[in-house]
Amino acid sequence: MPWFQAQMAELQRLAEEYALSQQQTASNIVNVSEKMRLKRAEFIDAVQVLVDKIGKIKGISACAAYHDGLILAQSAHSAAIDAFGATLQESARAAQQGAALLGLGELEQIVIVGAKNKVAMLSIGPLMLCISSPKQINLALALNRRPH
Amino acid sequence: MSNIHPLDTRKSQSGEIDAILRNLMGIQGVSAAAIVDNDGFVTHIQRDSEINTDAIGASVQVVFGAAARAAQHVGHHATNMVICENAEGFILSTPVEAGFMLALVTQRDALLGRVRFELKETIPVLKKLFSHYLTH
Repeated sequence: MPWFQAQMAELQRLAEEYALSQQQTASNIVNVSEKMRLKRAEFIDAVQVLVDKIGKIKGISACAAYHDGLILAQSAHSAAIDAFGATLQESARAAQQGAALLGLGELEQIVIVGAKNKVAMLSIGPLMLCISSPKQINLALALNRRPH
Repeated sequence: MSNIHPLDTRKSQSGEIDAILRNLMGIQGVSAAAIVDNDGFVTHIQRDSEINTDAIGASVQVVFGAAARAAQHVGHHATNMVICENAEGFILSTPVEAGFMLALVTQRDALLGRVRFELKETIPVLKKLFSHYLTH
């Protein structure tokens, strides 16, 4: 499996494990609480690691993860980080409406291509991963180059 | 023996509340995490520097109360979270149970989405812990 797909699959697995830990009903709330906390940390830490790795790939301008349009993890400080979040929220809302109308199913990816740059937004559990690059970069190829 | 059991349970629940606060302190930029009671007194706190706990407790209750009333005025019903954005950071407060609140103080470099996500995910567990804690 290509590097990026393998990373995304691993994050989806961690997100699902965390979601499952939230559904547990046990008489010992302390144990359930601790397990959820650990699963959440495992998922979020993995998101941060991936964001850092993607940010180091040649051709990628920035990478960040958002929850409800608010910054959760970022590869490097960027002046447009809040604008990214706002764009993400607006795009996701429009795409979800379109997806519902067309029966596309759960939203997985949105790509916006401008004259100079492009942004890809990918859904991972409750989060959205945003990756930006110059327009001419082939994102699929760039993302499958394992970063050093 | 039967009298000792609930005390152990209560101690472990209180320990888990402290563990949750320590976990919140592990997030980038978070400088204090506290549980504040209905009267504005801090019952549990984790912090990385000297901080006026009485001032935090009282101000969190006052700010949350004012925000909740504002939300009622505009028909927004229950208030789930109040975020104060300040020159040097954020203060986030969320109701837990029976008037208790969870308050977080952050520095400017905190990632707001990260802190808010952790708060939103933590609250259901804290609610359960508190309902057990208060009834045992």
